[in-house]
Amino acid sequence: MKQRILSAALAAAFLAAPAAALAQDTDLAKRVEQLAAELEKVKAELAAQRAQAAAAAPAQPVQAAQPVQPAVTAPAAAAAAAPAAALASDTVFSGYGEVNYNHPVRNASGAQTDLRRAVIGIQHRFDEKTKVVAEFEWEHAIASADDSGESAIEQMYVEREFNGGLRGKAGLFLMPVGLLNQNHEPTAYYGVERNFVETAIIPTTWREAGLGLSGDFGDGFSWDTGLTTGFDLTKWDPASDEGRESPLGAIHQEGQLAKSRNLSLHGALNWRGYPGLLVGGSVFTGKAGHATPDFAGNDARVTVAELHTRYTPGAWDLSALWAYGRISNTEALNATFVGNATPVPSSFAGWYLQSAYKLWQDGDYTFSPFARFESFNTARSYAQVPAGLGVPATPYERVATVGANLMVGQGVVLKADYQKFREDKTRDRVNLGVGFAY
Amino acid sequence: MRYVPLIVLGACAVTAPVFATQYLSPEQAQKLMFPEADAFRAQPLTLDTAQMRQVEQLAGLPARSNQWRVVGAYKGGTLLGYMVLDDVIGKFELISYAVGLNPDASVRQVEILAYRESHGGEIRLPAWRKQFAGKSAKSGDLRIGAGINNISGATLSCTHVTDGVRRIAAVAQVALAR
Repeated sequence: MKQRILSAALAAAFLAAPAAALAQDTDLAKRVEQLAAELEKVKAELAAQRAQAAAAAPAQPVQAAQPVQPAVTAPAAAAAAAPAAALASDTVFSGYGEVNYNHPVRNASGAQTDLRRAVIGIQHRFDEKTKVVAEFEWEHAIASADDSGESAIEQMYVEREFNGGLRGKAGLFLMPVGLLNQNHEPTAYYGVERNFVETAIIPTTWREAGLGLSGDFGDGFSWDTGLTTGFDLTKWDPASDEGRESPLGAIHQEGQLAKSRNLSLHGALNWRGYPGLLVGGSVFTGKAGHATPDFAGNDARVTVAELHTRYTPGAWDLSALWAYGRISNTEALNATFVGNATPVPSSFAGWYLQSAYKLWQDGDYTFSPFARFESFNTARSYAQVPAGLGVPATPYERVATVGANLMVGQGVVLKADYQKFREDKTRDRVNLGVGFAY
Repeated sequence: MRYVPLIVLGACAVTAPVFATQYLSPEQAQKLMFPEADAFRAQPLTLDTAQMRQVEQLAGLPARSNQWRVVGAYKGGTLLGYMVLDDVIGKFELISYAVGLNPDASVRQVEILAYRESHGGEIRLPAWRKQFAGKSAKSGDLRIGAGINNISGATLSCTHVTDGVRRIAAVAQVALAR
């Protein structure tokens, strides 16, 4: 009996199955469609919420828009958004890094690959007007007593916004000098290596500890000024060629037990009043002897001045920069360095012209070839020393760089270039690099 | 003694009254965009899936949200255009902006309501914002490097606002254009 019922039930089930399946199929198709539509909706909402959560305004504007009745006339937008007020405390992580390969064309054994730098940035906003910015950097992969890596704090400052867009900074911050110093992420410049003028003459990444003020005059003019630590000439090593590579790089203090008997002043003015165009300049000056006992260079003053421009019409990216540095009152100090290869230069200078063109774009790939011509001299002149005891000034080095950046999205860049040196031809090289910034 | 002016300046700054980074309220923005309007109506917009796909196709960007904050501007019952409110992230911080649109979905005006980054505040300059006027999602020139020039030192802010305007122009094209 049981068996019969079971088999009848089974038979019924089998008979009914095709019809039921047919009905289910259409039902199912409908439901799948509905679900797909809902999923799309949820995905979009989630993406929107994520974008807003990342900026600490959690979905507030959208909700705010809904209670307003369409019939309300005058202050319709009032409830539509007040996102500024909704900003809560917020911590943002950022980072950038690059790995470079250099291949000197006349000396294959000198080929080298280096994790040039890895940087972690943290910005925390305490409130609408107060934030702290910090960047932690490792250079050359490993920093230990036995390695040549470095670990450094690249910036760490608090910033407060005052009336009328005026901003005050205190801490260790980047000098508002040139095009590269404040925008030094690998995705922000052309070429595997940073340009020579803004590393040898302007010691990028150049930071000082102190106070800074920034603001704008309207019409596209913005200004920066500050009172900070400066250079320490007592660090100059006349036996090393470090001062020949970058005079200021050899005596910078970077906020490390920085001598502060002499402070430095800086000022910068930039104009961005025409879309795509930037024209600006800056001056930095301060004494560098710090009233050090038995030091012959206590009156020495370091002054750096530069002018820069960048114009980005359409697919072009054109820039030019001129920089001039001076270390005054070094006669007495250099007299103590007689017989050494690297006395303190009284002036150093350089300029470059660069042109890049966005040649090809497909999806999120952007291919931009570029060419840069640089001329720079890290020992343009020396203060007078008694005849026969001095070192001759060096000639200007001229470097031509041609290559390309391939951007992948906005955060990743692959680079390749060739650099040709006019003076020291042994330095001609091919460079490859990968970098990112977020 | 040399630093006295700077110290005085610093002291002035510290004692100055604190001011928010909000430059315009939405009401101020809508009046700037449609000075002749006698009525503004909030018309929140919800896109359906097909519309979101169209927006993505037109803008070449993820549609990001199906909810949009739209205000219609009217004079004597006649539609003058729309204002769409939005926020994008600049480099690290939120930029609040409004896009004014003509009834045909071309961009009429862009206003920055709030800008919080340390650099790149120049996107508030009329000269930069004027570049958007008259362009639409269909014209293909609402892009940095193709119709819109960027601001040196504020590449990310410029790119993200330009992308945002293009997305809104696409939303308007798909859901608001007449």
